[in-house]
Amino acid sequence: MLKKHLLTTAGLVTVFAFAATGCSSSDGGGDGNGELEFWSFTGIGQKDDVDKYLADHPDAKIKLTEVGSSQETAQALTTALAGGKVPDLVLIQGEDMPKFVENAHNFVDLNTLGAGDIEDDYVPWIYGQATSRDGETIGIPTDAGGLAMAYRADLFEAAGLPSEPDDVTAAWSTWDDFIEFGEEYVAATGKPFLDNVSTSVFFATVNQVSEQYYSPDGEVVFDTNPQVKEAFDVAVKAYEAGIGAELPAFSSGWTAGKGKGDYAAMTAPSWMLSSFKNDAPNTEGKWRVVAVPGVAGNWGGSYLAIPKRAENPKAAWEYIKAMQSPEAQLAKFNEAGSLPTTVSSLAAPDMQEYTDDFFGDSKIGAVMSDSITQFQPFSTGPDVGAIGTGLMNALMTMEDGGITPDKAWDTALSNVNQALGK
Amino acid sequence: MSSTQSSISRYSARRKDGVSRGIRESIPERFAPYVYIAPFFVIFAIFGLLPLLFTFYVALFDWNPIGDHEFVGFANFSRLLGDSRFWNALVNTLGIFLISTIPQLIIALFLAHLLNHARLRAANFFRMAMLVPYITSVAATTIVFAQIFDKNYGLLNWLLSLVGIPDINWLATNYGSWVVVSVMVIWRWFGYNTLLYLAALQAIPRDMYEAASVDGATGWKQFQHITIPSLRPVIIFTVVTSTIGGLQVFTEPLLVSPETGLTCGAARQCQTLALFLYEQGFGQYAFGYGSAIGVVLFVIVVVIALINFFLSTRMKGGQ
Repeated sequence: MLKKHLLTTAGLVTVFAFAATGCSSSDGGGDGNGELEFWSFTGIGQKDDVDKYLADHPDAKIKLTEVGSSQETAQALTTALAGGKVPDLVLIQGEDMPKFVENAHNFVDLNTLGAGDIEDDYVPWIYGQATSRDGETIGIPTDAGGLAMAYRADLFEAAGLPSEPDDVTAAWSTWDDFIEFGEEYVAATGKPFLDNVSTSVFFATVNQVSEQYYSPDGEVVFDTNPQVKEAFDVAVKAYEAGIGAELPAFSSGWTAGKGKGDYAAMTAPSWMLSSFKNDAPNTEGKWRVVAVPGVAGNWGGSYLAIPKRAENPKAAWEYIKAMQSPEAQLAKFNEAGSLPTTVSSLAAPDMQEYTDDFFGDSKIGAVMSDSITQFQPFSTGPDVGAIGTGLMNALMTMEDGGITPDKAWDTALSNVNQALGK
Repeated sequence: MSSTQSSISRYSARRKDGVSRGIRESIPERFAPYVYIAPFFVIFAIFGLLPLLFTFYVALFDWNPIGDHEFVGFANFSRLLGDSRFWNALVNTLGIFLISTIPQLIIALFLAHLLNHARLRAANFFRMAMLVPYITSVAATTIVFAQIFDKNYGLLNWLLSLVGIPDINWLATNYGSWVVVSVMVIWRWFGYNTLLYLAALQAIPRDMYEAASVDGATGWKQFQHITIPSLRPVIIFTVVTSTIGGLQVFTEPLLVSPETGLTCGAARQCQTLALFLYEQGFGQYAFGYGSAIGVVLFVIVVVIALINFFLSTRMKGGQ
């Protein structure tokens, strides 16, 4: 009898314990020892930064969690902001920023911590993308995604085309020249020139505008802005010229094709350069890196932000200030190749003279830095991601043979209108 | 038979005794059984029922998880009915469901029949091996299959090229991408269904087959008149579970073409309803619209499950 009683009681206790944990899990609550909770995505080397900071600040405590991909990190952050335990510090990729900037009240306005004092260190348009219409700044840019064109000098030479970086840059100063150059390559070799037109042309051209998907007063204008249509048409023209291999970026054929000469040119943002060495080690010394036609470009980049409910916002801010100073960014560039967002480090001799033997004598540092400094700023809004994807998907469908080029723009418009619920 | 009966009567006798004693029992003791089963119900209520009900609630809002929640009534649902992406996802889901479930169950039935063969050596090894695809991570399977079906360097296109068929861009078209996703679904589940069928087959007494042979029934006749009727309850069970699973296919289309994110192809060739839900909810953070998709998916699954139930009771009645 006694035994039975005990068991019954144990059962009840279990139930209450379950119920209790179920209810209290959302409280969170800090232990107050000042440990900095830091969420990052994988593959961006934040561990090295943290180690370096801890070496200089022996009293600091940082718990770094690499949540997953940048998208997964943004999802985890969104869920946390909606009602869970938030980190003190979080790394957000540029593409995900507009949604968070639009809901800036979820984050600490860094101006209250003294962001104004360091604002001038950063490239204005990159810094500005983390600032809301009401002037709240929610993130400090950690790295930029400078854009360049990578090409195979050996294949160009074999095709009887210019292959020295300076000559190539001169040969394709405009997109029309670029397409013509590609046509000559295809005519000489019978092989595709470019990996694809959606990322390697459109992604570059659509960022070389003074106004993009949003007007300065926040109206959605992607469908009426002639600059967007022009950027789109360049990609369609490139497709019609038959220079593309129709290999979407990051598909397995694209990755394999890098080393097999399936295409001879592709856009390469700064963070992609290291993947050449993994994907195509046999091409060492054969690739070159030059400016895209029109020079300016950006693909990627990330920001550090502090959620409003963070327990240690001050410590987080100290970390940001220390690790994102111009000196620290330049040091990080020298060690890991991450492209700085600070004006002085982009102009520094270390940066301007940077080369990498894998890419021959290409002036990688100068090319990347120019693509960032020559970038014209334009207004963005909460749905830039959805609009960009809709346009891009139409081009990819065209490349897959799903639609003819003359239908591409209409498909793009309907893609975006559906996404925006119009 | 008789031993079973006697044990039942002994059990009920003890039970009667227990009930009569129960009046004197303390209250905790009388509630003990409920307490022991409570953890399931409590956990289900917290993590199953509550989110379900909350989904119905959120579906009535324009719900930004980190911003405003604006009540919009049934606007999400009316938008959904006019959204061609929704109809596309519905057609994809049904298409993938059909070409994955039907071959899968037929293959499973066939394999179970082979595995049940009396003269099969190392039968346990083969039976266990059937489960390997089921216990392999879906992500790993998807990566392997994506490579097999790759347009440029895929194994399948290479094999086809040997017989002169030009490269097929499997993921570029609706039907092609359905096949790719379906093959992965079949690969994951056929072993599981095979074992279910096998268990049922082993419960069929051998003497039924022997008697049929004596009466001159051929292998096919035996299959038709003994095997299939005996398997009927299991077949119904597998059809119901495969239907519910098939309508919620998610991981395979999510991972098969990572270059286009959450749409499974630039033209949403293989985007299923579950993936469309995820895209809206966690890609666009449109929780209200995503919830509305979830509610509609729930209704569709319930309706199809009811049709299944209706058909299966008729099948049983016909037996």
